[in-house]
Amino acid sequence: MSKLGQVVESVEKHNQFVLDQVKRARSDEQFGRDLVGRWNDIKAKIPTTRTPTGVPLPRLALPEIDEPGEIARYLFGEGLPGEFPYLNGAYREMYLEPIREVESFDKNGESKKSSAKKIPPAEEPTRLFSGLMLAEDTNERFHFLTAHQRTHRLSTAFDGPTLYGIDSDADGVFGKIGEGGVAIDTVEDMVRLYDGFDLGSANFSASMTISGPAPIIMAMYIAAAKRRFGPGVVSKLRGTIQADIFKEVQAQNETIFPIEPSLRFLTDMVEFTTREMPRWYPISISGYHIGEAGSTPVQQAAYTLSNGFAYAEMFAARGIPVDQFGPRLSFFLDCGLDVEYVALARVSRRIWAIGMRDVFGAGAKAQLYKLHTQTSGRSLIAAEFKNNLTRTAAELMLAYMNATNSCHSNSADEPFTTPSEEWIRLAAHGQAILLEESGIFKHTMNMLSGSPGMKSVERAVEAAILEEFREIERLGGVLAAVEERYQRSQIQNAAHRYEQQIYDGTRPIIALNKYRNGSDDIPEVKLVRTPRKKQQLQVDRLTRFKEKNAEKSKRALDKLAAVAESGKNCFPALLDAVEVCSLGQITGRLQEVVGRFRPMV
Amino acid sequence: MAAPIRILTAVPICDGHDSAINTINLEFIRHGIEVVYLGYHRPVGDIVRAAIQEDVRAIGISSYNGGHIEFFAGVVDLLRKKGADDIKVFGGGGGTITQDDAKIMRRKGVDEIFFAGTSLEEMVKFVHQRYGKQRTKRARARSSDQELAHELTEVEEAAGRRKKNREARNEKRKSKARVIGFTGPGGAGKTTLIDELVLRFLNQDRKSRVAILSHDPSVIGEGALLGDRATMINSQNDRVFMRSMATRGQAGGLSPATHDCLALLAHSGFDYVIIETVGTGQEAMPFRSNGIVDQTVLVMNPDYGSRLQLQKIVMLDLADIVVVNKSDLQRAKTAHTEIEQRLEQNRRSQRLLDTVAKRHRDAGVDRLFDLISGTTKPAQERRKK
Repeated sequence: MSKLGQVVESVEKHNQFVLDQVKRARSDEQFGRDLVGRWNDIKAKIPTTRTPTGVPLPRLALPEIDEPGEIARYLFGEGLPGEFPYLNGAYREMYLEPIREVESFDKNGESKKSSAKKIPPAEEPTRLFSGLMLAEDTNERFHFLTAHQRTHRLSTAFDGPTLYGIDSDADGVFGKIGEGGVAIDTVEDMVRLYDGFDLGSANFSASMTISGPAPIIMAMYIAAAKRRFGPGVVSKLRGTIQADIFKEVQAQNETIFPIEPSLRFLTDMVEFTTREMPRWYPISISGYHIGEAGSTPVQQAAYTLSNGFAYAEMFAARGIPVDQFGPRLSFFLDCGLDVEYVALARVSRRIWAIGMRDVFGAGAKAQLYKLHTQTSGRSLIAAEFKNNLTRTAAELMLAYMNATNSCHSNSADEPFTTPSEEWIRLAAHGQAILLEESGIFKHTMNMLSGSPGMKSVERAVEAAILEEFREIERLGGVLAAVEERYQRSQIQNAAHRYEQQIYDGTRPIIALNKYRNGSDDIPEVKLVRTPRKKQQLQVDRLTRFKEKNAEKSKRALDKLAAVAESGKNCFPALLDAVEVCSLGQITGRLQEVVGRFRPMV
Repeated sequence: MAAPIRILTAVPICDGHDSAINTINLEFIRHGIEVVYLGYHRPVGDIVRAAIQEDVRAIGISSYNGGHIEFFAGVVDLLRKKGADDIKVFGGGGGTITQDDAKIMRRKGVDEIFFAGTSLEEMVKFVHQRYGKQRTKRARARSSDQELAHELTEVEEAAGRRKKNREARNEKRKSKARVIGFTGPGGAGKTTLIDELVLRFLNQDRKSRVAILSHDPSVIGEGALLGDRATMINSQNDRVFMRSMATRGQAGGLSPATHDCLALLAHSGFDYVIIETVGTGQEAMPFRSNGIVDQTVLVMNPDYGSRLQLQKIVMLDLADIVVVNKSDLQRAKTAHTEIEQRLEQNRRSQRLLDTVAKRHRDAGVDRLFDLISGTTKPAQERRKK
């Protein structure tokens, strides 16, 4: 049985454990009394907050139960926010306003400002994915986006050639330079990309959405940081690189080496970063692209989780301790409008925690399913596109109900262009309106958790995810299923069904197949396109870089190839190579050693 | 009955968005169109080469990653340059292509751009109306590959009309290529294996050329997804001529036009011609009494079921070489032993090899290459009987 099979068993076992505790709480008087005592303690410790209109509310809402069996069901089955199995949240307070605004707990009406320092001010969960043209253009956009933020959390999109590990001077890619993301060929581009930001600061983090060539880009980032801040900065770097090979093969198709060497280079990087860069997330296990490729929500959650467990198995097999790599794994989900999204992330968090604890022996920090959510791009359409604001708002609401740790809200103009500043602002404001302006999430944890409907969805979704796990297990585990194209064909079938449902009207899309206005014209918007002059500039810079390093790059590539052949960890050699080699040179040389990815259809 | 419309679909280089094109492909084949699918992340050169070799009526490009104006124009220009502008170009990109872009693209020679919200029916209708008419008078071919492609189209369409073919022409042609037939059940990895062999053919010297005739199943009067090219990485090369054919209702793994097409290919100056059947059943013996195929390779999947099943596989009696691919699978060792015993009954010098075609530089594939390229002498004698 693979680890995934064991995960299924561990979740079933835990569910049985919860039932047993419920029974025991009802039959064993002492146990029941203890539970009620604990419950009352928890309740007594909950601070009260006062809303701007003067209504007092507890900072944590709990179900109104006093019967020991139900208390057991809640504490063991769901857990308080921040407690195993983390159904209600990975952390205790999530989006709550900082405690300094809680002035009302004192019975005499005196404010207790002394408590202000106990909890640091929450940071904005807003992450806006951006990348356009050349490094300096994206850099300017980053400064614009973070101008009024307490923390600088940058999320980087790369252009097509970069995502496929090829250089801007490669044949036939000229028109793609800087389109849909930033063009990065060399460490020098990387220096320009984050210019003006303090990479070693606790208030800074960089997220990089790239998988196939991720180890090379990671090495470039480290090299760029060292150039600007010296070698001491490495251990302080914070951020995330996506590096999710499985989902590339299953859905997104940006893989450059065959699966096994891709996984090996990934593990090389994870081994290095989890040891040398304790604040870095070297992999973001992503369902987003699976969802966007057309999967059902359950498929998205199931494949993401099973991919995660497969990575954990792989890293453990390399000898990396679970409590070293476990806390450095993070997740990324799509949030659309289907009802499963009411609880998809909640259920995922619970299954991950149980599996990591009971199958991998992970400690508390390595049990957390730390989640970034993005609203669904696929749910947005061009026709009457301003409706997309409503779609995104509803998805944001679902994402926060699932206590996501961070979130990206899509711009309404995405179906027809690279998002423009006007619509990006509106998208960001959507998050601020929900979290900061509205009272829905800022006063009380669990504000919307645990409704009967949500619980029904949780049960249905969990059962369906476990069934998917069993199917993957029957196929021989994640890697075998991937090679058999199992996930791919499931996703493609679902995508096809989705399209069919739109065309036959069983899936209403407002202004497309229902309440349609007639006119289908794409609105005239200002398009962000990379001018040819800039594309040429990128090619010229690359040419100069290659000329300058012609001799050194040859030696570095030979060394890298030798390490790759030897089977040793390639990451240190990559760190050297990026100083003098371009992305495409490195990819090309590694492909000579390990081969190229053979596309799956 | 008129021959089905053949088109080629692809996603441009640095673009992996294949969700839309997958859906559209399915819709096309359901409406009688034969679709040669080239896959995603494909450069202009690969697309144009494939379109010329396959002699399709049109190329459909699905682009979601930007740079579409340059890319579509690149395809149109290269077709023109190669004298193949009777192959038309259309495409779409959801919302990423604006009306203004589309205007420029049409001006540059693209037939049609579909926008977000276009129904699949509209696209199918467009292809039928725009590309459904027979190409009567064709301009003279600009290259030998193009000429060959045109001839193959004639042969294939003639076979559909049950007309006799002009076989005489072949005699005038160059000396015969070495023809190797690949067959085996679906999912055994034939295409991957062939693509890996092609890499070795290409590396062997600097100029030898390979032709591949590949088959996918279809029912008479219906479409087909001809998808072998999409998973091939080494065969996208000017030294490789590949043609994909639908079986158009014929059982046994080949098309009614296969024999004539193969005869033509065998005398067209290639060093090797590889022919791949569709995934076959136990009773299939596609290359019997063919007369053109020099050597036959049966590619097996280790998961063929019980030992009893082996007795029923006719090709195990006929193949010159039997390959157990995916020999990294757990069952592969058992499979090798069982097949070995089965072959011993035949008392012929058939060869049995284990390969892992998906693996880069696999030693088993190297051995297979040696066997079929003649580096190691294969068992010639038994073919004489």
